[in-house]
Amino acid sequence: MSDFKKEMMFLIGHYGHIGITFVASIFIGMGGGILIDQKVFDGRTAPWFTFIGLAFGIVAGFKSLFEVLWRASKNLEKDNNETDKTDQ
Amino acid sequence: MEHPILFISVILEALGLPVPHGPVGHTFLEQLCAPYMTYTWLVMAFLYFVAKLTVSDLEMVPGKGQNFWEIVIGGLDNFFADNMGRKLTDEFFPMLATFGLYIAVANLIGLIPGFMSPTASLNTTLALTIIVWLSHHYIGLREHGLSYYKHFMGPMWWLVPLMLPIELISNLARLISLSIRLFGNIMAKETLLGILFMLAGAFFAPLPIMLLGVLVSLVQAMVFVLLSVVYFSQAQDHAH
Repeated sequence: MSDFKKEMMFLIGHYGHIGITFVASIFIGMGGGILIDQKVFDGRTAPWFTFIGLAFGIVAGFKSLFEVLWRASKNLEKDNNETDKTDQ
Repeated sequence: MEHPILFISVILEALGLPVPHGPVGHTFLEQLCAPYMTYTWLVMAFLYFVAKLTVSDLEMVPGKGQNFWEIVIGGLDNFFADNMGRKLTDEFFPMLATFGLYIAVANLIGLIPGFMSPTASLNTTLALTIIVWLSHHYIGLREHGLSYYKHFMGPMWWLVPLMLPIELISNLARLISLSIRLFGNIMAKETLLGILFMLAGAFFAPLPIMLLGVLVSLVQAMVFVLLSVVYFSQAQDHAH
Protein backbone atom coordinates (compact mmCIF):
# COMPACT_ATOMS: atom_id res chain seq x y z
CA MET A 1 0.00 0.00 0.00
CA SER A 2 2.75 2.40 0.97
CA ASP A 3 4.71 1.59 -2.21
CA PHE A 4 1.62 2.12 -4.28
CA LYS A 5 0.99 5.47 -2.63
CA LYS A 6 4.60 6.54 -3.20
CA GLU A 7 4.40 5.53 -6.85
CA MET A 8 1.10 7.36 -7.24
CA MET A 9 2.50 10.52 -5.67
CA PHE A 10 5.50 10.43 -7.98
CA LEU A 11 3.27 9.98 -11.02
CA ILE A 12 0.84 12.75 -10.10
CA GLY A 13 3.55 15.13 -8.96
CA HIS A 14 5.99 14.85 -11.82
CA TYR A 15 3.91 13.89 -14.82
CA GLY A 16 1.18 16.33 -13.86
CA HIS A 17 3.79 19.07 -13.72
CA ILE A 18 5.69 18.34 -16.91
CA GLY A 19 3.19 19.88 -19.32
CA ILE A 20 3.28 23.33 -17.83
CA THR A 21 7.06 23.19 -17.33
CA PHE A 22 7.47 22.48 -21.04
CA VAL A 23 5.33 25.46 -22.01
CA ALA A 24 7.00 27.75 -19.47
CA SER A 25 10.47 26.84 -20.77
CA ILE A 26 9.50 27.67 -24.34
CA PHE A 27 7.95 30.97 -23.32
CA ILE A 28 10.94 32.00 -21.21
CA GLY A 29 13.37 31.10 -24.01
CA MET A 30 11.43 33.02 -26.62
CA GLY A 31 10.78 35.94 -24.27
CA GLY A 32 14.49 36.20 -23.56
CA GLY A 33 15.24 36.12 -27.28
CA ILE A 34 12.73 38.89 -28.00
CA LEU A 35 14.14 40.94 -25.13
CA ILE A 36 17.69 40.68 -26.53
CA ASP A 37 16.45 41.53 -30.02
CA GLN A 38 14.34 44.55 -29.10
CA LYS A 39 15.98 46.04 -26.02
CA VAL A 40 19.67 45.21 -26.40
CA PHE A 41 20.06 45.52 -30.18
CA ASP A 42 17.04 47.83 -30.83
CA GLY A 43 15.53 45.46 -33.40
CA ARG A 44 18.57 45.49 -35.70
CA THR A 45 19.07 41.73 -35.36
CA ALA A 46 15.33 41.31 -35.43
CA PRO A 47 14.31 37.70 -35.95
CA TRP A 48 17.59 35.98 -35.10
CA PHE A 49 17.85 36.07 -31.33
CA THR A 50 14.12 35.31 -31.10
CA PHE A 51 14.66 32.10 -33.03
CA ILE A 52 17.80 31.18 -31.10
CA GLY A 53 15.96 31.79 -27.83
CA LEU A 54 13.02 29.75 -29.06
CA ALA A 55 15.34 26.86 -29.93
CA PHE A 56 17.00 27.01 -26.51
CA GLY A 57 13.59 27.15 -24.87
CA ILE A 58 12.38 24.06 -26.71
CA VAL A 59 15.58 22.17 -25.84
CA ALA A 60 15.20 23.22 -22.19
CA GLY A 61 11.64 21.92 -22.23
CA PHE A 62 12.78 18.55 -23.56
CA LYS A 63 15.60 18.49 -21.03
CA SER A 64 13.18 18.87 -18.12
CA LEU A 65 11.04 16.12 -19.68
CA PHE A 66 14.01 13.77 -19.86
CA GLU A 67 15.06 14.65 -16.32
CA VAL A 68 11.72 13.36 -15.06
CA LEU A 69 12.17 10.16 -17.07
CA TRP A 70 15.72 9.65 -15.75
CA ARG A 71 14.55 10.17 -12.21
CA ALA A 72 11.71 7.71 -12.73
CA SER A 73 14.07 5.03 -14.06
CA LYS A 74 16.51 5.67 -11.21
CA ASN A 75 13.72 5.24 -8.69
CA LEU A 76 12.69 2.01 -10.41
CA GLU A 77 16.25 0.66 -10.21
CA LYS A 78 16.49 1.57 -6.55
CA ASP A 79 13.18 -0.15 -5.79
CA ASN A 80 14.26 -3.25 -7.70
CA ASN A 81 17.53 -3.42 -5.78
CA GLU A 82 15.68 -3.09 -2.49
CA THR A 83 13.24 -5.86 -3.36
CA ASP A 84 16.15 -8.08 -4.48
CA LYS A 85 17.83 -7.57 -1.12
CA THR A 86 14.68 -8.40 0.80
CA ASP A 87 14.16 -11.52 -1.33
CA GLN A 88 17.55 -13.00 -0.50
CA MET B 1 -20.83 36.21 -14.96
CA GLU B 2 -22.47 37.03 -11.69
CA HIS B 3 -20.32 38.49 -8.99
CA PRO B 4 -19.77 36.03 -6.13
CA ILE B 5 -20.90 37.16 -2.71
CA LEU B 6 -17.94 37.00 -0.34
CA PHE B 7 -19.02 37.47 3.24
CA ILE B 8 -15.81 39.08 4.48
CA SER B 9 -16.00 41.68 1.71
CA VAL B 10 -19.65 42.36 2.60
CA ILE B 11 -18.73 42.84 6.26
CA LEU B 12 -15.80 45.10 5.37
CA GLU B 13 -18.00 47.19 3.09
CA ALA B 14 -20.58 47.51 5.85
CA LEU B 15 -17.79 48.72 8.13
CA GLY B 16 -16.98 51.41 5.57
CA LEU B 17 -13.64 50.00 4.40
CA PRO B 18 -12.85 50.25 0.68
CA VAL B 19 -13.09 46.84 -1.02
CA PRO B 20 -11.61 46.89 -4.54
CA HIS B 21 -13.96 45.94 -7.37
CA GLY B 22 -11.20 44.80 -9.72
CA PRO B 23 -8.74 42.04 -8.87
CA VAL B 24 -6.27 44.42 -7.17
CA GLY B 25 -6.90 47.76 -5.46
CA HIS B 26 -5.15 51.07 -6.05
CA THR B 27 -4.55 52.50 -2.57
CA PHE B 28 -2.76 50.64 0.20
CA LEU B 29 -5.95 50.15 2.22
CA GLU B 30 -7.77 48.83 -0.85
CA GLN B 31 -4.97 46.36 -1.47
CA LEU B 32 -5.20 45.16 2.12
CA CYS B 33 -8.97 44.67 1.75
CA ALA B 34 -8.74 42.70 -1.51
CA PRO B 35 -10.58 39.37 -1.13
CA TYR B 36 -7.51 37.19 -1.54
CA MET B 37 -5.78 39.08 1.30
CA THR B 38 -8.70 38.90 3.70
CA TYR B 39 -9.26 35.22 2.98
CA THR B 40 -5.54 34.54 3.44
CA TRP B 41 -5.85 35.99 6.94
CA LEU B 42 -8.96 33.89 7.50
CA VAL B 43 -7.04 30.73 6.59
CA MET B 44 -4.12 31.76 8.78
CA ALA B 45 -6.45 32.42 11.71
CA PHE B 46 -8.25 29.13 11.07
CA LEU B 47 -5.02 27.11 11.09
CA TYR B 48 -3.73 28.90 14.18
CA PHE B 49 -6.88 28.60 16.27
CA VAL B 50 -7.69 25.02 15.24
CA ALA B 51 -4.17 23.94 16.17
CA LYS B 52 -4.36 25.92 19.41
CA LEU B 53 -7.72 24.43 20.39
CA THR B 54 -6.83 20.82 19.55
CA VAL B 55 -3.24 20.57 20.77
CA SER B 56 -2.88 23.33 23.34
CA ASP B 57 -1.19 20.91 25.75
CA LEU B 58 0.50 17.74 24.57
CA GLU B 59 -0.33 14.60 26.52
CA MET B 60 1.36 11.22 26.78
CA VAL B 61 -1.89 9.46 25.85
CA PRO B 62 -3.16 11.48 22.88
CA GLY B 63 -6.79 12.48 22.63
CA LYS B 64 -8.77 12.91 19.40
CA GLY B 65 -7.27 16.21 18.36
CA GLN B 66 -3.70 15.32 19.16
CA ASN B 67 -4.08 11.99 17.32
CA PHE B 68 -5.16 13.77 14.16
CA TRP B 69 -2.24 16.19 14.23
CA GLU B 70 0.22 13.42 15.04
CA ILE B 71 -0.88 11.56 11.92
CA VAL B 72 -0.71 14.66 9.72
CA ILE B 73 2.63 15.95 11.01
CA GLY B 74 4.16 12.48 11.27
CA GLY B 75 3.12 11.63 7.72
CA LEU B 76 4.57 14.86 6.35
CA ASP B 77 7.77 14.35 8.32
CA ASN B 78 8.24 10.80 7.00
CA PHE B 79 7.55 11.94 3.47
CA PHE B 80 10.09 14.78 3.65
CA ALA B 81 12.73 12.57 5.26
CA ASP B 82 12.29 9.93 2.53
CA ASN B 83 12.80 12.47 -0.22
CA MET B 84 15.42 14.93 1.03
CA GLY B 85 17.12 13.41 4.04
CA ARG B 86 16.84 13.95 7.78
CA LYS B 87 19.06 17.04 8.06
CA LEU B 88 17.22 19.20 5.53
CA THR B 89 13.88 17.98 6.86
CA ASP B 90 14.65 19.11 10.40
CA GLU B 91 15.69 22.47 9.05
CA PHE B 92 12.91 23.19 6.57
CA PHE B 93 10.03 21.20 8.04
CA PRO B 94 8.21 24.22 9.56
CA MET B 95 8.21 26.11 6.26
CA LEU B 96 7.19 23.24 3.99
CA ALA B 97 4.58 21.81 6.32
CA THR B 98 3.06 25.26 6.73
CA PHE B 99 2.94 25.66 2.96
CA GLY B 100 1.27 22.27 2.57
CA LEU B 101 -1.37 22.89 5.25
CA TYR B 102 -1.99 26.46 4.14
CA ILE B 103 -2.40 25.54 0.47
CA ALA B 104 -4.65 22.58 1.27
CA VAL B 105 -6.97 24.66 3.49
CA ALA B 106 -6.86 27.63 1.12
CA ASN B 107 -7.84 25.42 -1.83
CA LEU B 108 -10.62 23.64 0.04
CA ILE B 109 -12.15 26.80 1.51
CA GLY B 110 -13.22 27.93 -1.98
CA LEU B 111 -15.71 25.06 -2.22
CA ILE B 112 -17.90 26.62 0.50
CA PRO B 113 -20.29 29.30 -0.79
CA GLY B 114 -19.34 32.74 0.50
CA PHE B 115 -15.66 31.89 0.63
CA MET B 116 -12.95 32.22 -1.98
CA SER B 117 -9.62 30.45 -2.42
CA PRO B 118 -6.70 32.83 -1.82
CA THR B 119 -4.69 30.53 -4.12
CA ALA B 120 -7.02 31.48 -7.00
CA SER B 121 -5.00 34.70 -7.21
CA LEU B 122 -1.61 34.67 -8.91
CA ASN B 123 -0.22 37.00 -6.24
CA THR B 124 -0.53 34.37 -3.51
CA THR B 125 0.91 31.47 -5.50
CA LEU B 126 3.75 33.55 -6.95
CA ALA B 127 4.69 34.69 -3.44
CA LEU B 128 4.86 31.08 -2.23
CA THR B 129 6.84 30.03 -5.30
CA ILE B 130 9.38 32.83 -4.98
CA ILE B 131 10.03 31.83 -1.38
CA VAL B 132 10.61 28.19 -2.43
CA TRP B 133 12.77 29.21 -5.40
CA LEU B 134 15.00 31.53 -3.37
CA SER B 135 15.39 29.01 -0.57
CA HIS B 136 16.45 26.22 -2.95
CA HIS B 137 19.19 28.46 -4.29
CA TYR B 138 20.10 29.34 -0.72
CA ILE B 139 20.44 25.63 0.11
CA GLY B 140 22.60 25.07 -2.96
CA LEU B 141 24.87 28.03 -2.23
CA ARG B 142 25.26 27.06 1.42
CA GLU B 143 26.03 23.43 0.61
CA HIS B 144 28.45 23.91 -2.29
CA GLY B 145 29.65 27.47 -1.84
CA LEU B 146 30.65 29.16 -5.05
CA SER B 147 31.04 25.85 -6.89
CA TYR B 148 27.23 25.75 -6.95
CA TYR B 149 27.64 27.19 -10.46
CA LYS B 150 28.62 23.66 -11.60
CA HIS B 151 24.93 22.75 -11.32
CA PHE B 152 24.32 24.94 -14.35
CA MET B 153 27.31 23.88 -16.43
CA GLY B 154 26.27 20.47 -17.71
CA PRO B 155 28.36 17.31 -17.68
CA MET B 156 31.26 18.26 -20.02
CA TRP B 157 33.23 21.47 -20.43
CA TRP B 158 32.75 21.78 -24.20
CA LEU B 159 28.99 21.59 -23.73
CA VAL B 160 28.95 24.69 -21.50
CA PRO B 161 27.81 27.24 -24.14
CA LEU B 162 24.94 24.92 -24.98
CA MET B 163 24.03 23.78 -21.49
CA LEU B 164 24.26 27.08 -19.60
CA PRO B 165 21.29 28.81 -21.30
CA ILE B 166 19.29 25.59 -21.19
CA GLU B 167 19.88 25.08 -17.49
CA LEU B 168 19.11 28.73 -16.73
CA ILE B 169 15.89 28.59 -18.75
CA SER B 170 14.72 25.39 -17.12
CA ASN B 171 15.56 26.77 -13.69
CA LEU B 172 13.57 29.95 -14.35
CA ALA B 173 10.76 27.83 -15.76
CA ARG B 174 10.31 26.33 -12.29
CA LEU B 175 9.31 29.77 -11.03
CA ILE B 176 6.59 30.11 -13.66
CA SER B 177 5.35 26.55 -13.83
CA LEU B 178 5.04 26.03 -10.08
CA SER B 179 3.04 29.21 -9.54
CA ILE B 180 0.88 29.07 -12.66
CA ARG B 181 -0.04 25.40 -12.20
CA LEU B 182 -1.44 25.98 -8.72
CA PHE B 183 -3.10 29.26 -9.70
CA GLY B 184 -4.54 27.83 -12.93
CA ASN B 185 -6.01 24.73 -11.34
CA ILE B 186 -7.67 26.57 -8.48
CA MET B 187 -8.86 29.49 -10.59
CA ALA B 188 -10.34 27.06 -13.12
CA LYS B 189 -12.16 25.27 -10.33
CA GLU B 190 -13.58 28.50 -8.92
CA THR B 191 -14.62 29.86 -12.31
CA LEU B 192 -16.19 26.58 -13.39
CA LEU B 193 -18.15 26.36 -10.16
CA GLY B 194 -19.32 29.94 -10.59
CA ILE B 195 -20.46 29.41 -14.17
CA LEU B 196 -22.21 26.12 -13.44
CA PHE B 197 -23.90 27.65 -10.41
CA MET B 198 -25.16 30.53 -12.52
CA LEU B 199 -26.38 28.27 -15.36
CA ALA B 200 -28.05 25.42 -13.51
CA GLY B 201 -27.47 25.87 -9.81
CA ALA B 202 -31.04 24.79 -9.01
CA PHE B 203 -30.39 21.38 -10.60
CA PHE B 204 -27.20 20.68 -8.60
CA ALA B 205 -25.02 21.04 -11.71
CA PRO B 206 -21.89 22.11 -9.73
CA LEU B 207 -22.05 19.02 -7.53
CA PRO B 208 -19.77 16.73 -9.61
CA ILE B 209 -17.28 19.57 -10.06
CA MET B 210 -17.31 20.14 -6.31
CA LEU B 211 -16.44 16.47 -5.82
CA LEU B 212 -13.62 16.85 -8.32
CA GLY B 213 -12.64 20.10 -6.61
CA VAL B 214 -11.93 18.32 -3.32
CA LEU B 215 -9.59 15.93 -5.16
CA VAL B 216 -7.88 18.70 -7.15
CA SER B 217 -7.40 20.85 -4.04
CA LEU B 218 -5.65 18.11 -2.09
CA VAL B 219 -3.60 16.91 -5.06
CA GLN B 220 -2.38 20.42 -5.91
CA ALA B 221 -1.32 21.07 -2.32
CA MET B 222 0.55 17.75 -2.33
CA VAL B 223 2.20 18.42 -5.70
CA PHE B 224 3.42 21.85 -4.59
CA VAL B 225 5.07 20.41 -1.50
CA LEU B 226 6.45 17.40 -3.40
CA LEU B 227 8.09 19.57 -6.03
CA SER B 228 9.52 21.93 -3.40
CA VAL B 229 11.06 18.92 -1.68
CA VAL B 230 12.47 17.65 -4.98
CA TYR B 231 14.03 21.03 -5.77
CA PHE B 232 15.56 21.23 -2.29
CA SER B 233 17.10 17.79 -2.57
CA GLN B 234 18.41 18.53 -6.07
CA ALA B 235 20.10 21.72 -4.85
CA GLN B 236 21.62 19.71 -2.00
CA ASP B 237 22.92 16.92 -4.29
CA HIS B 238 26.22 17.04 -6.12
CA ALA B 239 26.29 18.32 -9.68
CA HIS B 240 26.23 15.58 -12.29
